[in-house]
Amino acid sequence: MITTNNLTKKYGEQIALDHLNLNVKEGEIYCLLGANGAGKTTTINLLLGFIEPSSGSAQINQLSVQENLKATKQFLAYIPENLMLYPSLTAVENLDYFSGIAGKKLSTAILKNLLEESGLQSEAFDNRISTFSKGMRQKVGIAIALAKDAKVLLLDEPTSGLDPKASNEFGILLQKLKEKGVATLMATHDLFRAKEVGTHIGIMKDGQLKKEFIVENITLNELETFYLDTMNLKEKTV
Amino acid sequence: MISKTFFKESKELFRDGRVRISLAIVLSLLGIAVWISSKQYQSINEQYASAKTAERNIWDNQGEKNPHSAAHYGTYAFKPKYPLSLFDQGVDKYAGTSIFLEAHKRNEAQFSAAADQTGLARFGDLTPDFILLFIIPLLIILLGYNSFTKEREMGTLTLLKSQGISIWKWFIGKWSALFLPIFTITAILFLIAGLVLGNLKNFGVFNTSSLLVLFLVYMAYYVIFINIILLISSITKKSGISLVVSLSVWILACLAAPKAASNIAESKYPYPTRQEFETSVLKDKKAGLDGHNPWSKEAKMLEQQVLIEYGVDSLHQLPFNFAAYRTQKGEEHEAEVYFKHYNYLKEQFTNQSKVYRSLAAISPYLPTRFLSMAIAHTDYATHWDFADAAETYRIDTQQFLNNNTAQNTEYGQRGYKASANFWQQLPAFKYDPPKLESTLEKNASNISIMGIWLLASFGFLFFTTKNF
Repeated sequence: MITTNNLTKKYGEQIALDHLNLNVKEGEIYCLLGANGAGKTTTINLLLGFIEPSSGSAQINQLSVQENLKATKQFLAYIPENLMLYPSLTAVENLDYFSGIAGKKLSTAILKNLLEESGLQSEAFDNRISTFSKGMRQKVGIAIALAKDAKVLLLDEPTSGLDPKASNEFGILLQKLKEKGVATLMATHDLFRAKEVGTHIGIMKDGQLKKEFIVENITLNELETFYLDTMNLKEKTV
Repeated sequence: MISKTFFKESKELFRDGRVRISLAIVLSLLGIAVWISSKQYQSINEQYASAKTAERNIWDNQGEKNPHSAAHYGTYAFKPKYPLSLFDQGVDKYAGTSIFLEAHKRNEAQFSAAADQTGLARFGDLTPDFILLFIIPLLIILLGYNSFTKEREMGTLTLLKSQGISIWKWFIGKWSALFLPIFTITAILFLIAGLVLGNLKNFGVFNTSSLLVLFLVYMAYYVIFINIILLISSITKKSGISLVVSLSVWILACLAAPKAASNIAESKYPYPTRQEFETSVLKDKKAGLDGHNPWSKEAKMLEQQVLIEYGVDSLHQLPFNFAAYRTQKGEEHEAEVYFKHYNYLKEQFTNQSKVYRSLAAISPYLPTRFLSMAIAHTDYATHWDFADAAETYRIDTQQFLNNNTAQNTEYGQRGYKASANFWQQLPAFKYDPPKLESTLEKNASNISIMGIWLLASFGFLFFTTKNF
């Protein structure tokens, strides 16, 4: 579903992403771990077509992002770190608008079902987004992905700033999407959450994918050790 | 997607308390302005009708009187107040409402509304044209300055792009959401004004075509402003900057450009001062025939010419009264002098208008204002047209009176009096303003400039879609 082949992004002399090769299949949740500046967000921006790659290619559902940008958008949903919606509109109105511009015409009843499915309390459906917490907004974001019937979900630090309960609820939602066959690529700092929800984990540093694991083959302690080793690599060489 | 964006934007706008308050203020101001203007229009038209009837009655009932005494006694030509002046009072306030028509002299329009007011009138009046030309563009700025910048600032643009939004449909949705409230306010105003005017008695030359064309002119003006404001919002990064740039454009287009145009036009093609004008007229008048002076060189030359033409030796042998004939010839000379000097003023006015038109390229306000005044018959061109019609009537009246004396008296006869019912034979002064077609034809350049503004603003807006 999500494939990158030697995907590279350079800003002048600086390499933001260096020959990344990824393959996320249906029903997989691939967690990209790494410090700030590791290249996680650059990867997501390249997959969204927000920036052009310097070399290499990216595919969504076997379609080249660079060549079929508009077509690839119909398969994917994106939730950034701080999902911002229209504050003066209600949750239902926001969902209606964002699903509408993606070409989905859904009744209010269906929209409310989607919000319910995403874990939002029914009392909040008709409240303005300006009254929502970050966790509630992320749930609306998931509802937008559900409404779009997205095959690919791109998440950029989605649990950052969420309290443990909200973070856990978000993890449960991702599991539901996984069961539906959605391929998810999640950039995160959160090792614990990555181990909890992910099927695959990749550790990035300086734009390179340093290590990849299948989650069921590794413990949290091992993951932490590998992660710290990778992060300390630079210090050792220096 | 267009309708979704339109409804989303509209909801956001109307849920914003600031927008609701602004709309309420603008609508209230418009209501008050229309009410005040319609009252003024009614009152002035009643005064016009009553003055016109009274003046004609005085003329018709002069009794037995010498025609030249009647010519000096004079009469008035009253300028009608036109229905669409309800929208745009133009130069009416300063141009005067009546012209005194008398022998030997072309007078200017007098009794302007401005002359009847105190110095406080300098602050201006609350009129529909003030709201239409200045306040509604400000409302457009308030409604649209953050149309695109808010998407950047809130971060919703990223989500929209990830949803595969069609940028041009998104633009049209936003454009429509900004256009609709402006269209609604303007349409309501014109509808109310149309109903008010349609229900007034003796509402003059009002026709719905002019009202519709005036409405279209203002809508074109607003569309240009909407395009400019959205263009600014789409190319600036922050709402604050967008607001400042938009307000700067408003100041430049609506306040600075008209004043600069006025100053440039006046300095390039100045009008003579009143003293200079009157001195020049007097000089030229003196250089020709004075109808009242039988001893002048010009009078003697005329005498010789007429005697030769009629093959007689004495003025007494002529089939008409030569004194009245000379008076008429004197009138014709004076009329020519006035024609020459007023034509110079008109030339200066035409040249000034050309300067204005050339500066219309920097402000859509200028062509809109000119078109608005022209359609409402409150521009200088209509005033000139009225003044010319009054002068033609004055010349015809003098000829009518002098001919009566010439035909009914003999040379040297004194004390002639025309009969009491003679005065009624003079047709009443009637002025028909230029027709809409003719007005639009004369303002073709202003219409073209508006068209260029429309096309250019749409073009620039279209190209900025590529920035997203």
